[in-house]
Amino acid sequence: MSIAELADRVARENPGCRVSERYGNQLELKSPVRQWVTTLSQLKTAGFEHLSNLACVDWIDQDELELLANLWSHARRVHVTVKTRVPREAPAVPTVHALWPQAGVYEREIHEFFGVDFPGNPELEPMFLHNWKDLPPLRKDFDTREYSRRAYGFLEEEQE
Amino acid sequence: MSDSAYSFVELQEICRTDRYVQYELFFGPNFPGMHGNFGYILDVAGSTIVGVRPNPGLLHRGFEKLMEQKSWIQNISLIPRICVPDPDPNEAAYCQAIEKIMGLEVPPRGRYLRTIVLEMSRLSSYLMGMGALGAMMGLYTGMYRMINDRDLLMDLFEWLTGARIYHIYMLPGGVRRDLPEGWSQRLSEVLDTLEGNLPEWDRLVFENPVVVKRLTGIGPVTDAEAVSYGLTGPNLRAAGVRADIRIDDPYAAYPELEVEIPITGGGDALARAVQIRLEYEATIRLLRRVLRAIPGGAFRTPIGNPLKFTVPAGDAYARVESSKGEFGYHVVSDGGLKPYRVSVRGPSLPAGLALCHKHLPGMLIDDVAIWMASLAVCPPDFDR
Repeated sequence: MSIAELADRVARENPGCRVSERYGNQLELKSPVRQWVTTLSQLKTAGFEHLSNLACVDWIDQDELELLANLWSHARRVHVTVKTRVPREAPAVPTVHALWPQAGVYEREIHEFFGVDFPGNPELEPMFLHNWKDLPPLRKDFDTREYSRRAYGFLEEEQE
Repeated sequence: MSDSAYSFVELQEICRTDRYVQYELFFGPNFPGMHGNFGYILDVAGSTIVGVRPNPGLLHRGFEKLMEQKSWIQNISLIPRICVPDPDPNEAAYCQAIEKIMGLEVPPRGRYLRTIVLEMSRLSSYLMGMGALGAMMGLYTGMYRMINDRDLLMDLFEWLTGARIYHIYMLPGGVRRDLPEGWSQRLSEVLDTLEGNLPEWDRLVFENPVVVKRLTGIGPVTDAEAVSYGLTGPNLRAAGVRADIRIDDPYAAYPELEVEIPITGGGDALARAVQIRLEYEATIRLLRRVLRAIPGGAFRTPIGNPLKFTVPAGDAYARVESSKGEFGYHVVSDGGLKPYRVSVRGPSLPAGLALCHKHLPGMLIDDVAIWMASLAVCPPDFDR
């Protein structure tokens, strides 16, 4: 099956998603957040059984967070990036930890670094940061310099 | 006299009447078999593990946040640090993602030079991995001797790139410099030495009855399980799945080369050990083929002033087959002088943070370090 035929098939099976081809062997699929789980589960059944990772991007100017899932099909040798967007205020995306065991760990990481909630994921307590009480640090409005000044105060000393 | 709060007699009494069955053991950086600054909090009953909580964070350096604050080219000196024993796949995946967004072509000689450095990095990482396997059960001789072999490759890296560990050699569009005079000849000699030492490694580690007995049956993974957990590289192939990014999603000069992928099958720690041993040998043969086939010409497409280098708005995911599996970079650009977001997929996360919940309970404390070494769990790539 050529990549164009595959794109057509994925678009047919996921109404409501926008599918486009890129970079020779990749598909990009933009899914509404309510279809996130059904889209990923449908793709897994269609042969995209390898989840490379889940990632998050903070589009602060559009006041949105974007979730990315990178999937790979060992048999078809095609890569799919699934994207969905949620508002920055109280973001929540349904969990996919039942589809891939390691997806729960990626969600836990995104919860910690971007503050996205994953209803249904039983393990969302912090893992990497110790006693973190500030903004989730990978959000664009978290200022590392300002944080260092507040937490350690050494930048003022250097300037004196 | 000790300044303990209890007298010796009181301690004896506590030991005699102690009714705790289960204890918490911090299996962390203070343990000689732990790889790097990472820890598992183990619930143990006697010597048997009954529960596990991974405890990353000791090594968190905020690479992904730092990358958003540095220019595109500056980041190349930052990212090799994500994986110490096998740093070059980071540079390659990052550069490939940028090249995909820009539509930038790498000249043939540049692609071959990347392949040479990536394969040398694989060899040096396998030497560490094979040595570590023995070291985890007290066989340090292998570790010392293999680190000696690894140093021959480090010398070549230093000659080519100016650095032994973090080479900072690749740039979007190619590599930083061409091969020095006499370098290829020296590499062939080093490859002969490495291959000549292999029978000794076999006798010392892979045919050693103690090692074979100890590795058999630890951490068994079926092929379906390996795929659903997202295992990649030698771990996936040792479970019997025929998958290699160098063939499936080719990059650098691999499409023009014949890449052998040995498949062990079996899926336990012994299969994974044999897998890296076979791949080590295949890598030596592959490097010889690269040296024979390397074309002349330019090794880099000019990218202009590196301080003003920008990437058009867009995003791309690029993956590289490292010695531990899939290293992936998802790079997002908004057209500015710095990346908007870079997300790193380290190959150790599926095993180190997810598969551990399935494998460790029921295992003996002594086997944890061997389990980690056999799955090549390298904490810096998930605790970045």
